[in-house]
Amino acid sequence: MSFFSNEIFGEASFVGGDNYREILKDSRYFKALRNTAVYTLSSLVLILPAAMILAHGLKSVFGKLRPAFQFLLLLPGLTPPAVLAILFLLVFHGRQGLLNQWFVLPFGWKYVNWLKDPDFILFALVLQCVWRWVGFITFFLLSGMEAIPKMYYEALQVESARSWHRFRWVTFPFLRHVILFCIVYLIVDAFALFSGAYVLLGGSGGTADAGLLMVSYTYQTAFTFGNFGTAAAMSVLMAPFLLFLLWACFWGYKRLITVSLARE
Amino acid sequence: MAMKRRSRTILRKTFSSLWVGGLGLVFAYPFAWMAVSSFKENSQIFLPLKFWPEFWDLSFFQQLLSSEWFSFGKVLLNSLVISLGQSVGAVLFTSLAGFAFAKHSFRGRGVLFAACLCLIVLPRQMIAVPLFQWVHTLGLYDSIWGVMLPGMTSGLGVLYFTQVFKLIPNAYLEAARIEGAGEWRTYRLVLPMLGSSLLSYGLIHFILAWNEHLVPMLILNSPDHQTLPLALSSLYGSSLRFPFAVLMAGSFLAMIPTSLFFLISYKRFKNSLSNVMMS
Repeated sequence: MSFFSNEIFGEASFVGGDNYREILKDSRYFKALRNTAVYTLSSLVLILPAAMILAHGLKSVFGKLRPAFQFLLLLPGLTPPAVLAILFLLVFHGRQGLLNQWFVLPFGWKYVNWLKDPDFILFALVLQCVWRWVGFITFFLLSGMEAIPKMYYEALQVESARSWHRFRWVTFPFLRHVILFCIVYLIVDAFALFSGAYVLLGGSGGTADAGLLMVSYTYQTAFTFGNFGTAAAMSVLMAPFLLFLLWACFWGYKRLITVSLARE
Repeated sequence: MAMKRRSRTILRKTFSSLWVGGLGLVFAYPFAWMAVSSFKENSQIFLPLKFWPEFWDLSFFQQLLSSEWFSFGKVLLNSLVISLGQSVGAVLFTSLAGFAFAKHSFRGRGVLFAACLCLIVLPRQMIAVPLFQWVHTLGLYDSIWGVMLPGMTSGLGVLYFTQVFKLIPNAYLEAARIEGAGEWRTYRLVLPMLGSSLLSYGLIHFILAWNEHLVPMLILNSPDHQTLPLALSSLYGSSLRFPFAVLMAGSFLAMIPTSLFFLISYKRFKNSLSNVMMS
């Protein structure tokens, strides 16, 4: 499909590599690519450590309270992203939003128009992602942690009682697979992010395209501008990129294991 | 000594309960606010410093349920049918595939399995355009089936069930075969052993299907065929004068099924997750 001109309902003609050439000349495409990369990386960097800390915290919470807390943390992950985006809109609303009313205005600063200011749009999207997924990742990590047999901790107790060592030598090695799964999950989800950005920014990239992401741009090209061929070419271009990224993930993971094994 | 250690544990537990609980409340605060906002006038909603409404106005829920803004009953039914259909179909197909991958060796198995892995890696949003064309060619545009059928495939499910079936000892299968059961029957005989895995996967898939936005938006066109998240977001875009409380009420109701399912099967879900992760 990516080699044809754009008629989806009528006759399509073969245009060869034209669609691809068009993309490579398109500066908005690269902007979307850059935004998606920034979004993916920052959500990974923010979510994983936070979820790890939270999982440890949850583990030492009073047993009776744990399911309740878990549920509270998971709530954003269970809601439809469309709903989430509406809520988020209220929090980030220009003048009357929660964030401005609570944290910005009381300090005497000028209110920030989060969703219109190009400097903040991407940040707002990342924050939404963190809010949405931290609970889920915590849940995964905690499920993994609970399956670690106690005897390993007890064995380590003989050697060292420091909590960092417990994490480094027992928890982390056991959770490697889970962490890898979480990373892959987050990357794929970040690339697929659509609904949140769609509701927040109305299907476009927001002011100065600061919030333009890959999927929204593909959507816009196909269904707003009607260039199905170009949009298909974008998807095709995306696939090897994503595959490469994931391959890099697995490669890094294997490497990590070999290195830590060698050290042991 | 023992006393001291015990009091220290309690201190630590209290401390982490406090901060985790506080964070949980922060995470959930917008939802509480949403629930409360569904009773508020527009002018009150945008005053975030006032949490409680001045008076509890039930008229917005009534407006929603009496389909003043969109036909709520139909849309809710659509959402339920689509998500349930997707999760049942996905559980059936992916568990069959998982059975085949785990317990049989056949030519092309590696390639097929790699294809399934690629399916995980390529999000459905990425293939939206060709998917749209396919559905259109099949004549399923604007029909519930057009959303349900593509939703029944899942790479994650195949991977998950392959792991699950690997945990089942071959002896059971052999016993069934010695009794003369065919492949289909063997599969059916093993299935009850996986009850909680089937349930947890169905649950995850239900949540994903319920929350899906892009594919239904592309395929379902007429207002009566829409799903709940879709209807809500189009309501939001429609005009600035409609009462936000209706939106809040609808969003609140949209959250209930997934949360409820999750609460019911929390324990089971977690156990089977731990099992599969550690295998």
